[in-house]
Amino acid sequence: MNERAANGRRASVLAGLREFLYGMTGHEFARHAVATRASLETLFMVTCVGDMIGLPVMPPYYSLRLLPFVVPEIATWKRRVLRERQFSDEHDFELHGV
Amino acid sequence: MNSLWVVVIGAVVIYLAYNFYARRIDRVVIASDPNRATPATMYMDGADFMPTSRFVLYGYHFKSIAAAGPIVGVITAANLWGWLPSIVWLMVGVTFIGWASDYSAIMMAVRNDGNSLSAIAHRLISPRTRTILFVFIFFYLLLIGGAFVGIMAAILDARPDVPFGIVVLAIMGVVGGWLIYRRRADLIMVTLLIVVVTLAAMALGPLGVKFSPNNQPPPTWSTGVVSGPVLGINNALNGGGPIYSVVDPTNADPRVPPSGPDGKRPQTKAYNPATGAINVFPSFLFWCLFLLVFAYLGTNLAIWRFAQPVNYIGFWIMALTIGLSAIGAILAPFTNPGVATFQVQAITGFAPTQATGAIQWLWPMLFVTIACGAISGWHALFGSVGTARQLEYETDALPVGGGGMFSENTLGLLSLTAVAITGAAGAGAFAGGVGKLLNVATFGALPVAFGTALGFGSFVVIVLTVVQLVFRVMRVTLGEWLGEWWVGFKNQHVSSVFGSILVLALVLSGTWVYLWQLFGASNQLLAALSLLLVTLWLRSAGRNPAFAGIPMVFMYVTTVAASLITAYNLYATIVTRAGSAAISVIGAWAMIIVALLLVAAALLIAWDAWKAWTRRPAEVQPQPAPAGGD
Repeated sequence: MNERAANGRRASVLAGLREFLYGMTGHEFARHAVATRASLETLFMVTCVGDMIGLPVMPPYYSLRLLPFVVPEIATWKRRVLRERQFSDEHDFELHGV
Repeated sequence: MNSLWVVVIGAVVIYLAYNFYARRIDRVVIASDPNRATPATMYMDGADFMPTSRFVLYGYHFKSIAAAGPIVGVITAANLWGWLPSIVWLMVGVTFIGWASDYSAIMMAVRNDGNSLSAIAHRLISPRTRTILFVFIFFYLLLIGGAFVGIMAAILDARPDVPFGIVVLAIMGVVGGWLIYRRRADLIMVTLLIVVVTLAAMALGPLGVKFSPNNQPPPTWSTGVVSGPVLGINNALNGGGPIYSVVDPTNADPRVPPSGPDGKRPQTKAYNPATGAINVFPSFLFWCLFLLVFAYLGTNLAIWRFAQPVNYIGFWIMALTIGLSAIGAILAPFTNPGVATFQVQAITGFAPTQATGAIQWLWPMLFVTIACGAISGWHALFGSVGTARQLEYETDALPVGGGGMFSENTLGLLSLTAVAITGAAGAGAFAGGVGKLLNVATFGALPVAFGTALGFGSFVVIVLTVVQLVFRVMRVTLGEWLGEWWVGFKNQHVSSVFGSILVLALVLSGTWVYLWQLFGASNQLLAALSLLLVTLWLRSAGRNPAFAGIPMVFMYVTTVAASLITAYNLYATIVTRAGSAAISVIGAWAMIIVALLLVAAALLIAWDAWKAWTRRPAEVQPQPAPAGGD
């Protein structure tokens, strides 16, 4: 039992260390890739279902054809697009290390 | 005193401060609750708001805040006041102010729907506070840009073995960005490639150069494989002699050589000990322009293409250099006690005498000279937007925000150790100390001369990675702040060039240490502003704001006093000094105006904050949820 607990503790310490190293190395790149993808996705969503936020930019026929593909993203997209922003929000990658 | 004691003091103070003070504030005052939904979980949008493991966030936050600040400030302060006041302020500052500022800014953002500091300032204090924040940020960036470009250009000018590593760093940055984002190469392999090649290029710098103990005679740069051609460029540029001369009343400028055994400073090409004049050569201007071109690339290329991978390489070089130095600091008292013993004076006095009448009282000047290792306003700005929106549980804020600040403090302690064991101070002494510690850590495998070159190179790399981001934010700030007034500022090239010209003017005409102290003052004022917001927020929530309010008052008074003293120093030691070059006088006036602007902005914020404080807490309405939430 004690050995199992020790193994569990060791595994959790190693997992924590692995995550810490990932945070120092890959997390920034991953976040930046995700942010880039999100901005491209935003353009696509606005084109397809912009009327949901008051931008009727595409005939409803095409919107309806594309609707099944964009439904899973609608909630997060609306949060992202309609949030009030400050200048620092858009440039948090530039604030590193200063 | 030796290096082991610094490790012991650091470990004990950080352990006590974290477990017995920070945790108590987190539990009793802030009352963080793991069951309370954070903005990351409430408003997850797949990009900015994302719940993330606390270990990942700790690494991310630490990497984002740890850079050149804790290194440069400490080596300057050790020169001016000795190692004892420096270590005391590092430990007291981080215990009672530093972690509190970082952690509470993150928690305030978490409890305010992930809003940034400027948005919270707009609501809690007044709308114009947000505008004043822009002024602060812009001048902060201008001053740190000037201070860093100045110190790096001086090193590149004086050390022909360093520039090659910087050129390779730029190339590896481009290669790294392309491999990671375009080729989707394995991150570990890419890291190995770009970091090892950059380190190898830095280590190649001194190849073929003959070094002698205590630099007597000076290194033979002309015989070096890499340094020879660089020296040739410098000599070709400097054929006509110096352009003009400046004076640093505090002798903290990197071009001023350390005192010899007789207490006198030797004459060098750049420094005249009889008059205290520092000659500005065309090669210094050349290296300034080289750095500005580097920063221009970092500012205007897509961040993934250059700035981010360069910063990533810089982080690894810093981690390896500092990590190995730390091992050296622990081993040295046992294996090589002579190296571990502090050579720098413990204290030079509370008001060390400056030859030209500059005021450098321990209070308030020490508290702005050592900025980032003890407390930094920039961390609060970054933490409120970058980290607060990724916290999965409120209880993660302390290990991530507070723990990150305590970890950064250890960088300051290591810099102090590196400087103190060399018997001098300044960037050169830091590099010399790193060289000795690396020699001990590698059990003599890495010669001190190569370790010192690595120390110089890593110092420049660490500072340079920061500078390119400074210019990047400056470009954005200019566009946001002045873009409405003249649309040209919204053009990234126009705003980048404008920012570069301002920085160059400050570097060429100013005095390095005053630039640094003004930067420190603006940084600490930003921290005081962040603590002020936390104080008002806690009061509006009916909680005891003392842990943030008392440090806020101290930092506020200290930084305003330091700004005024720096303005006086500039006036008394440069403007009114007989024989000052016209360009120095213009630069001094520019810095005096910046100092007074910072003071005026601080006073305006204080007035608005007082009015906010005297409002009844109930008048501060809760922030509505962001639009678009379900």
